[in-house]
Parts: sequence; structure tokens; C-alpha cells
Amino acid sequence: MLKDITLGQYYPVNSILHRLDPRTKLFGTLVFIVSLFFCNSWVAYAVATVFLIMVIKLSHVPFHFMVRGLKAVLFLLLISVVFNIFLTDGTVVFAIGPLKATREGLVLAAFMALRLVYLVVGSTVMTLTTTPNALTDGLEKSLGFLHFIGVPVHEIAMMMSIALRFIPILIEEADKIMKAQMARGADFESGNLITKAKAMVPLLVPLFISAFRRATDLAMAMEARCYHGGSGRTKMKPLKYRAADHTGYLILFLYLGIMLYLRIRPVRITL
Amino acid sequence: MGIIKASKLIIDYITKDDEERVEDVNRAIDDVTLDIREGDFVGILGHNGSGKSTFAKSMNGILLPTEGTVWISGMDTADDASLWDIRRTVGMVFQNPDNQIIGNVVEEDVGFGPENLGVPTDEIWKRVDESLEAVGMTAYRLKSPNKLSGGQKQRVAIAGVMAMKPKCIVLDEPTAMLDPNGRKDVIRTITELNRQEKITVILITHYMEEVIHANRVVVMDDGKIVMDGTPRQVFSDVEKLKSYRLDVPQVTELAYELKCEGLDIPDGVLTIGELMDSLVPLMKAAGPLPAEKTAPEKTEDLPKKEEKTDEVPVLRTEKLTYVYGQGTAFEQDALKDVSFSVPHGQFVGLIGHTGSGKSTLIQHLNGLIRATTGKVFYNGKDIYEPGFDMKKLRSKVGLVFQYPEHQLFESDVFSDVCFGPKNQGLSQEEIEERAREALAMVGLDESFYKQSPFELSGGQKRRVAIAGVLAMQPEVLILDEPTAGLDPRGRDEILDQVNDLQDKKGMTVILVSHSMEDIAKYVDRIIVLDNGQKVYDDTPKNVFRHYRELESMGLSAPQVTYIVQGLKENGIPIDDSITTVQEAKSGILELLGKKTGTKC
Repeated sequence: MLKDITLGQYYPVNSILHRLDPRTKLFGTLVFIVSLFFCNSWVAYAVATVFLIMVIKLSHVPFHFMVRGLKAVLFLLLISVVFNIFLTDGTVVFAIGPLKATREGLVLAAFMALRLVYLVVGSTVMTLTTTPNALTDGLEKSLGFLHFIGVPVHEIAMMMSIALRFIPILIEEADKIMKAQMARGADFESGNLITKAKAMVPLLVPLFISAFRRATDLAMAMEARCYHGGSGRTKMKPLKYRAADHTGYLILFLYLGIMLYLRIRPVRITL
Repeated sequence: MGIIKASKLIIDYITKDDEERVEDVNRAIDDVTLDIREGDFVGILGHNGSGKSTFAKSMNGILLPTEGTVWISGMDTADDASLWDIRRTVGMVFQNPDNQIIGNVVEEDVGFGPENLGVPTDEIWKRVDESLEAVGMTAYRLKSPNKLSGGQKQRVAIAGVMAMKPKCIVLDEPTAMLDPNGRKDVIRTITELNRQEKITVILITHYMEEVIHANRVVVMDDGKIVMDGTPRQVFSDVEKLKSYRLDVPQVTELAYELKCEGLDIPDGVLTIGELMDSLVPLMKAAGPLPAEKTAPEKTEDLPKKEEKTDEVPVLRTEKLTYVYGQGTAFEQDALKDVSFSVPHGQFVGLIGHTGSGKSTLIQHLNGLIRATTGKVFYNGKDIYEPGFDMKKLRSKVGLVFQYPEHQLFESDVFSDVCFGPKNQGLSQEEIEERAREALAMVGLDESFYKQSPFELSGGQKRRVAIAGVLAMQPEVLILDEPTAGLDPRGRDEILDQVNDLQDKKGMTVILVSHSMEDIAKYVDRIIVLDNGQKVYDDTPKNVFRHYRELESMGLSAPQVTYIVQGLKENGIPIDDSITTVQEAKSGILELLGKKTGTKC
């Protein structure tokens, strides 16, 4: 039942991309996303495509895992394509009733679609190659400077990592409570929306109580182990850049440079 | 002065209302003075609510004294400046294995404490390696804690404390939520740490057999220390322990009962070996013993009801098979070809180690899980037939899950118990009538009706939850570990009530339990599951005769079975079908030609 939901979609293989520092991957994803918004020519998209294919090859993750995430944005993709094709002014290529598809619209729609697909695939590569924990660590360290303007970065990261640990436990617990209430005749499936919502009370109340009980216990256990916030804390696994990360950054800046150049001096190929 | 010293300690829990006015003061610790020497292994016993957990939490500054003082290695716990030194000196392990692990990977969790202390990275790795080695969990260092068993999680928690290099570890009921094998592993680990690493251990528990290796046992009741001495001294006063809602191991109880009958047996016998040492010479000296009397393997007392073959059994399964995760890489048979039938009014015990398929099996019986192949019959009707009323089945086959109090949700006891009957669609009067009846069955009177279930004690909450199932007036009552986490008296109370339901109301009961002693005491018949298959299905006497096979399945027999086997090995011709203390006592006295009857 509820247990089937998996969290984070980390794909465990040992590739060079998996071994990179999470900060490098976070920065890489950011660079790639930003570069997609620079793209306004076929040549630029070709460069982005080459870059993406190279990264996917390096990750050793089967390709179908990359495109799984696309299902979620399929609807959005279709809408934006249709709107772009029919609502852009320009040379009419064909028409369906009052709707006129223009040449410019087709190009724009193709760009939009590519941008959206690359955006999803690009960030999927990161989540597939980085454990949720490493991601949290990377975020904590990369955003560490926000601490100086009063953002509790360490605390937020700690909360994220505790959530990751407890979500599977709470899902299992929800499953158990649901069964226990079904054994007392509760019905979670039939009825209209309001009946269904009401039927959730015997599930949600015990679940909340349990979550609070666990939180109290955990806070006590953390205190007993001398947890007192981020200050004065050392790390068992401090993040450290290696040679591969330096190469990574070099490639990223090179890629960003090319994309910027293509934006300023577009190389046009006329179709 | 020892490592931990409490002087005239008083701790009050104060309830305040919204305007900070004191509503209620509850004295949890009442004038406790105690001095614990470095290197000792101290067991603290006490029933639920006796104040032992509160006392534990005062030992590292989680709770501060209302009056009096607690010193840890000479540091006052009330002194803020030494708080972190105190917590580093006294590590704590708590009851719930899930709620004290912070890391998403075993080794990272063990490193959490040293990270907080600001230990340099290299040193953290060294400490993590050593601590995991000390608790025997090195092989699991890269695993997710969610994939470990309860006993393994507790050992990780102990390693997490060890990595802070404490002088003392306080364990607050670390085994209450574990199965017997997990419990054994944790106790062995603690004992080793005490002996080899010279760590002072304070073990809080209500499993008596866990403290027989301690140097000192302290018994608490009502916030006070009522007994204090070596295990032998404390366990020699069985009646007094029972008056504090506690219990003694079966061997101690048997020795005590025999002593009462005038046999020359020392006080406070703790192990089977000790009992043998005094009992065997005594019995041999009594002169020639009667010839060996072995009960026939075939059963004179197998539930008679099965002989009436014309009666339709209330539950019957036919080649029940359940495949877990079918079609995935994790495909696994959780149940395989399990067939049995339960006649009306029988008390059945279901045993098997964790993961043997017990929970899966009982959820088939009320239709919560659908079998992959095989059939379930309720009163002769196939429950998988189209049109079978599942909801009705669930009310007729009542299932009480483990820790059933976690499903309570209403604001008062009475409404919560009404939930089941309400789902049956009964009239308001009928619903209330049934709720009242059900609450009476579990021994809760009207004064409880309007109370919030969340403010009751653990044992009371559990009884409310059981009443919630009884209110549906089931024909069959299935209980999954109904006594988990309760103190000995609470355990006996619940099981006695269940026994009454079966005895007086003719209810059919299926009891899932890890406690062989409880099973032996109450049930008519035992079904043993191992790896999803039914291995034994017979009377307790016949099943426990196979104690060696049971051990190879990660189970065991009641301690009495081992005592009887010990006597037999020493040439005493005792009836080896004995499974309870009372039977053993009369068996031994019979051999000695004495009559039972004299009570202490």
C-alpha cells in the first residue's frame, strides 16, 4: 500500500559523477539551468544537447531513469507547445479552422519543449547520482553564507536530514494504523469526498500523536548526545574538493562561456 | 563518592494551566539517596510508573532535581557550566530503537555524538570504528538504520554512546520493544562492555532475568528505593517483589516454592545450574526413585473439540500462500502452504521468530491481506467468494495489533470504544451498550468513560484499545503481542482477562507471543511458524518437547522445560512433559513422596 512510495530516486552505481562533491553537482545543475535560458539558437541547443548527453553517459545510469521524471510535466509540455505554435504571429504554415500555425511559432514551441525537457532531465541526473544526505550536506555548505544574514542554514539542513530518516518510518506507521482501524470496521475507500475526508480522522489523529511522540523522544536523544546546534561542531565526513571536482568546475565554466558567447554572437543556421 | 551520587533527590512533575497556575503536582522521585561505584553493573527494577525512567533522566541532566542533588563524577547536574561534561560522562540509551537514531547511515549515526563534541575528523573515524567493533555491528556500518532489526538498532544506539567515550551508560528499558533474540544480543553487549571496557552500566528493566548478572539490584516503587542488594539478596524475597508488581525468573520461583515446602534449597537461586547443584543431591539422597514415567508422545489432552468432526471450525485455512512483492526482484514467500483449522472456543498460541510470517498470517484471517493462493474459511464460508461481507468478517474476527494503544484517536475513552460498533451501523443504544460491556470485560469502570485515553497509564490504554475490538462482539479474538512493554503484573492482568473471555464467554482466542512462559501457561494448542511454514501444531507439552528444534528456529521453550531436562540429564526420572512452575513443583514433590499444600 503506502509502503510502495520511495523517496529520493538515488541510483546506486559507482560513476565519476556519483563521486563528485555534491557542491559541484549543485553548481553544475544551476549552470545548466541558467544556460538553458540563454539558449535562443539551434547551435546553442546543440551545444546543450552534447553537454547533457556527455553527463548522462558519465553517470552510468540507464537512460529510461532519466526520462521517467518527464511524465509529470507531460501535460505542461503539451500546453506550452500548443500555445506557442498557434499563438505566435508570423508566416502561416498551416491552419486548423481559425487556428493558424506559424513558422515562428513552430520554432518557439520546439525551443520551449527542449528547454523544459532538458530542465527536468538535467536536475534528474543530479538527484539520481547524489544521495539525499549528500545533497543536504552540499546545500548546507553552499548556502552557508546565508547564516550571516540570519538564515538558520545548519538547522534547516538538520531538519531535512531528520525528515529523510523519519518519512519511511511514518509511512510504515500510517500503514499499520490504517490496518488497525480497518480491523475495527473503518472504511477508507468508499463514499464521497466529505465522507472520505472524515474517514481520515482515525488515521491522522494517531499519526500526528505518534509523530509528536517521536519528535519529543528524538529531541531528548539528541540532547543526551550533546547536540547543541551547529556551532563548535566538527564533521565526520567533511566535504572536500578533489581533482575531479576541479576538472568539473573547469568544464562548467567553459560550457557557460560558450553558451554566453553564443547568446551575444549567435551563429545562425537558416532552415 | 562514586560516579553517580544522588542525595535526598526529589523530582516533581508540575502541571500548570493556561495562566501558569499550578494545577497538579506529581511526585515522581521521592527522597532518593543512592551512590553508584565506578565499574558496577546496576539493575534498576520497578513497575511502569514507579519512577525509574525519571530517575534515569536525572542522571545526565535531562531532568533537574526539584530538591536534592545529583552529582556525576563530582559535578552537580544543576550546574549549567558542566552540562556537556556530564552528558559526555553519562551516556543514555532509550527504549524506542527508532526514535534515537539520527543518522541515515549507521556509521554516520555513531559519529553524531563525537561531531557534537567537536572531535577532529580523524579521531571521529577511529572512535566510530572502535565503537562499532565493540557492539559487533561493523558489518552493518554502511546500512540504513531502517533496514536493521530492533536489536541491531539498539546496538547501534549503544555504539553511538560509546563513541562519546563515556564512563557510564544508562539504559532506560532498552529491551522493552525487542524480541527475545534481540534482547539477548543487547544484554550480552552490555555485559561485555561492563566486563571488558570497565564501563559502569545502569540497566533499567522489568525483565528479571536480565539483571541476574548485575552486581547490584535496586528496586523502586512509588518514587522510592524499596530494595537494594545483590541479585541473590533481592530475589530471595519473592513475595515482596510480587507486591511491587514484579516477578522473578521461573527458576527462582520454583526454588522458592520448593523451599517453602521444606526442601533444603538456598535463598535466591538465580540459575538452572545453582538449582541443580542443590536439588539433584537432595533428590538422590531421598532414596530409590520410582521408575521413569514418560508421558506418551501421543496426546491424551489434545483439544477434545477436534474429535467432533461434524462441527464446522470457526476458522480454517487451506494451503495459504502469500508472496510478498510479487513480480519484483524482492519476491519472497511470506507464507507457504499453511493449513489449519481452529474449532470454536479454543485458545491457540501462535509462535515463531520475528519475520516468520505470524503477522502476515493473522492479517489473512480477517481479510486485511488477500492470499496469493489458498483459501480461508470462516464458519465454513470461503471469504474470497464474491459477495462475501468483509466488513462483517472483520467485526467477527477481531484483531488487536501490537501496541494497539497507538490507534486510539477519540477525546474520551467511551467514544473511542464506540468506534467499532458505530462502523457496524448499529443503533445508538446498542453502540453504547456494547461499549459498556466491552469496557467491563477489560476491567475499566464508569470513572474511566469520560477520561482522555492519552492520559491513562500504559496498561490502561492498552485495555481501552482491546475493549475497542471487543465492542464489536467478535467470535474470534486475535491478539498480536498484547503484553509488549507492560510490567509483570500488567502482563498477568491482561492475559488473565483474555483467559476469562475464552473460559467464561467461550470466545476463540489466538495469541501471538514471544514469551514461551505465557504461552505455556494459557493456551490449549500451539502453532509454530518458521520461514512462512507451519512446523508444529500440537499441545504445548508436545511442542515444547522439541525444544532443541525450536532453538534452531530462533525460539526457545519455557525455562521450566530446561529445568526438567537438567534433572533428567542428572538421572532424575521426572515427567518431561512439564511446562509450568506449578507442574514442576508437584512433579518434584511427588518423586520425593511429599504432598503439596503448605504455603509460605
